Amino acid sequence: MNLGESTRLALESIWANRLRSFLTLLGVIIGIASIIATAAVINGLNLYVSEKLSNLGKGVFTVQRFALITNRQDFLDAVRRNKKLLPADARAIAERCPTAEAVAWETHAQVDLKVGVHEIRDTDIGGITPGILEIEPYDVEQGRVLMQHEEDRAAPVAFLGYDVKDRLFPNVDPIGKELRVRGHALQVVGVAQKKGSFLGFSQDNYVKIPFSLHRKLFGTRRSINISVKAADPARMSDTMDEVRAVMRARHHRRPAEPDSFGILTAEGINNLWRNLTQTIFSVALFVVGISLVVGGIVIMNIMLVSVVERTREIGVRKAVGARQADITQQFLIEAVLLSCLGGAIGIAIAFVASALLNAYTPLPAAFPAWAPATAFVICTLIGVFFGIHPARRAARLDPIEALRSE
Amino acid sequence: MPPDEVIRTEGLTKSFAMGTTVVHALRGVDLVIRRGEYVAIMGPSGSGKSTLMNLIGCLDTPTSGQYWLNGHPVAALPEHELARIRNREIGFVFQTFNLLPRASALRNVELPLIYGSVPPAERRHRAKEAMHQVDLGDRMDHRPNQLSGGQRQRVSIARALVTNPALLLADEPTGNLDTATSNEIMVLIDRLHSQGHTIVVVTHERDIAEHAHRVVTIRDGRIASDEARRKAAVS
Repeated sequence: MNLGESTRLALESIWANRLRSFLTLLGVIIGIASIIATAAVINGLNLYVSEKLSNLGKGVFTVQRFALITNRQDFLDAVRRNKKLLPADARAIAERCPTAEAVAWETHAQVDLKVGVHEIRDTDIGGITPGILEIEPYDVEQGRVLMQHEEDRAAPVAFLGYDVKDRLFPNVDPIGKELRVRGHALQVVGVAQKKGSFLGFSQDNYVKIPFSLHRKLFGTRRSINISVKAADPARMSDTMDEVRAVMRARHHRRPAEPDSFGILTAEGINNLWRNLTQTIFSVALFVVGISLVVGGIVIMNIMLVSVVERTREIGVRKAVGARQADITQQFLIEAVLLSCLGGAIGIAIAFVASALLNAYTPLPAAFPAWAPATAFVICTLIGVFFGIHPARRAARLDPIEALRSE
Repeated sequence: MPPDEVIRTEGLTKSFAMGTTVVHALRGVDLVIRRGEYVAIMGPSGSGKSTLMNLIGCLDTPTSGQYWLNGHPVAALPEHELARIRNREIGFVFQTFNLLPRASALRNVELPLIYGSVPPAERRHRAKEAMHQVDLGDRMDHRPNQLSGGQRQRVSIARALVTNPALLLADEPTGNLDTATSNEIMVLIDRLHSQGHTIVVVTHERDIAEHAHRVVTIRDGRIASDEARRKAAVS
């Protein structure tokens, strides 16, 4: 008997018991739907992070007080060991690292801002040296970015993130308007394009001011983040080695001691992120794997019931010429189709779920293109693995006894 | 062996282990049935006639002895070969019809052709022809539960005929039917015989056996009598 006929028979049988088939498939449906939905969320996060990090540009890394820290003891050690980074460190890097093409820095403070009746909370006030714009360019919506001469004389000027403009200067042209930070009047010179939000956190709630002005407003005791651009992106690790040597010398580190500062690259952050999401995905996979195994056992169970119910039918088929192989094929295909049907429903649910997540939650779900194919492969394997035993049992029935059964 | 022999058995025996005792259902059966014969196999229950029918129908293999079906030695064939023989050489008609309840009459008739790998168009054509042969040309799309007992048995006969087998093997074909319907079915079987089919009817009813031209009686696993009858009047 050919596959087409077996498939037709299997579909007829599944359709004849549609409610039972559907209930049988719940395990597989839920398993496949949740694994794909999880994959969609993680895929979405990965895409987002990669895109944001790629903005950092090629050959760019930052020196910060702390490296990427993933456990508490490391954090406690680092707090004790790592000194704040100062503009002097950045200048030393610029002077003594020949392969560093550009060095710039930024420091941060959080304040609430108010203009008339409008206010915005927890705005990040970033003090930047204008050189940073060569390393990490801002997309300008209106006006202009900060200038070197403004840094040189600590000019009271501000470049706004989109949210700040939107909340403090709704429906008015903000250029030239006044914004008060810590009692100082700053003049707005430009507005950045909207970046959007990530996991519910706005990426546009910031104000950039000259670093020299930042020190006047917030003091000189804040650690800075130093951005370095390697002259040759392909040899960024050489530049990183130079920077590390300079910084270790400045901090008087002995050869065996760990770094007392952190060097972060886009790649490093991306790797850490991917490790994190892969761990989450592995755990999810394991949990969902259990539900798929349970789903498979349910399919096996219902197939065994089906074999008993259809004993007479199997006898008739054998009497008119079905071989064991034909009967095996028929029941195996039924199990596989059943399982794949569950997979298809699961995929559809996951597709809808990831669209809903995108529309109504801050999670940037992206339905992965490989998911349907993988799901069908998994479901086929489940169908074969859990269907082979019932199918063999059906095929081995003695035709005489099968025909005699009630 | 002569080419017109559809069935030849020599010393056919069949034993079953029932717990610790061995039951000898058949104790050596020699039987020859030629092409175009119409044979009734009779015997009380427990005589071994069902066992003989299962062996003739290639549903089972003998403990010892030889069996040629349509010239092929089939006593020691493996499972898939037996399945092929059943498919091509034998048409079964059962007491309980044994139609697939969810399939239409036509599809039931197609079933042997599906396992015989006949292409769909030809399959449909041959199944329709078989339905016409049993006068059910207007019931092809009905399901078994929409048909009367007699009609169901006609569908089952059409299914048996559709592969044009060497042998039509009917096991108590009227056992589940009332007298009038039984007569209709036997008239149909008589007609198929007159068209040249070789027919074996297993029955314990004397008036059914009277339709046949030869009656083989089985008792205690052996052939007790084998007599030719004068051609029965078509009732």
